[in-house]
Amino acid sequence: MAALVAAYSLYAARQVGFAPSTFWEVWTNPLWEKFWPIPWDWVFDRHNVIDPLIETFQIAIVSTLIGCSLALPISFAMSSLTTPNRVTHVVSRSVMNVVRAVPDLFWAKLLVTAIGIGAFAGSWALSVFSLGVMVKLFSETIDGADPRPLEAARAAGGRHGPAVRTGVLPTVLPAYVAYALYVFELNIRASVVLGLVGAGGVGRVVEAQRQYFRFDRVLGILLIIFAIVLIIEQVSVVIRRRLV
Amino acid sequence: MTATVERPTRPPTARRRWLLVGLAGVAVIWSLSGLDITLERLLGAPADAWNIVRRMFPPAFDEASDRGVFGKVFESVHIAWIGTVIGAVVSLPLAFLAADNVSPGWVRLPVRQLFNAIRAVPELILAVILIPVTGLGPWAGALAIGIHSVGTLGKWACESIESIDYGPVEAVESCGGRWVGRMRWGVLPQVMPVITSYWLFRFEINVRASAVLGMIGAGGVGAELVSQLIFRNFPAVGAVLAVTIAMVLTIDTVSGAVRRRIIGGASSTRRSTEAAFALLGIRG
Repeated sequence: MAALVAAYSLYAARQVGFAPSTFWEVWTNPLWEKFWPIPWDWVFDRHNVIDPLIETFQIAIVSTLIGCSLALPISFAMSSLTTPNRVTHVVSRSVMNVVRAVPDLFWAKLLVTAIGIGAFAGSWALSVFSLGVMVKLFSETIDGADPRPLEAARAAGGRHGPAVRTGVLPTVLPAYVAYALYVFELNIRASVVLGLVGAGGVGRVVEAQRQYFRFDRVLGILLIIFAIVLIIEQVSVVIRRRLV
Repeated sequence: MTATVERPTRPPTARRRWLLVGLAGVAVIWSLSGLDITLERLLGAPADAWNIVRRMFPPAFDEASDRGVFGKVFESVHIAWIGTVIGAVVSLPLAFLAADNVSPGWVRLPVRQLFNAIRAVPELILAVILIPVTGLGPWAGALAIGIHSVGTLGKWACESIESIDYGPVEAVESCGGRWVGRMRWGVLPQVMPVITSYWLFRFEINVRASAVLGMIGAGGVGAELVSQLIFRNFPAVGAVLAVTIAMVLTIDTVSGAVRRRIIGGASSTRRSTEAAFALLGIRG
């Protein structure tokens, strides 16, 4: 087994062009000099970076809302505890598996082609991505929910919808909010790179400057993104800790 | 010994809850107006998307295989694997230095900050930085994925080292074992199954990431998707998508089965480990 893994690693390393010397060559490449010095004036100019950055946030907010709202009913259909019938269960599960198997930027590129370049396509792409993550997390939480309130509601003669709403929803709602925050955090990160395929946000600026070989500007933008992602992560961790 | 009872926390008042909902509502309205999203655009989009999906059928598998799409898919897998291997090899020793039960504070803090810093940079951004230096091609992708994996793998490994049973470590110490010996014989055997399954889980994530990296020229199937979309050759796009989805699902299934076997043994239940991994974060 170990030999098999090692053999495949060697083969794959050859395929991707790995050679130990490349580590050394990467560090001595003269192109690194093009990354420095960072033109902070340009980076902090409102139109260059700040506006696209705001757009990035807006994309993340909208797509978290759309994705998480759609995820709520679908998760209930996907969980074996609350699914209305077997067909819904199987269909929703397999569709969502396929949705999650498509990488996020593939969605972005497809939707850019379908509905045009810009933030609108990006919002839809991230909505689909959030939906995929959210139903996975949340339907598993519903699977693990306490079934007794649901049984009580059914025993009292509740129909499926009200029984689920009163028997299961209250117990899983805190987890839902926590996951939504987590998905928002993921979306902020993902929305930063959406622009690389033409789906709006700050990535669009990165892509443009990359093509002009202005790597100093690229590095400046990336440092700002880095700082923002770090801050958002810290805030989100604190909020989630208080919720759960 | 007296048992202490924690004072129950006051549930949030209705006013505070509505305040939060209101804040979220304002944020959403601000975003919708900023992105110029109106209801008719929102409702029109699914029809446009469906139009594209319809034109992808039937997928042109023959044309795709002529263009070497299958080879590209395997290249994506190779990139993901090499990235995972780089991440695993680099992160394992670092994780020991970052764990608070086996490493002193002055070593621990910088290593942890390194993990956090690396995790904050997406693979794609790393690839944007690396491509001018390494050149276009799969090596840039593998390196980007490798670097990013160090952050998450290091964090997860560090957390599992922190939750070990300290008995074996003390046993090695009482026999005169030094730090390296304590780690090798006291810690490593305990954490290796969990860490191996983290590696596999990271590999599953990296497969998706490496497919995406091709879109900006870092090797793999992404480049093929982009070029077919530019030509608006939708049947070929459908084929590329279908092959990618099949590849991702296969790897998820196989790797997931191996992980469950490693963690839970032959009789493991499916759900508990899946949920645990899900909580760790789909994308790390």
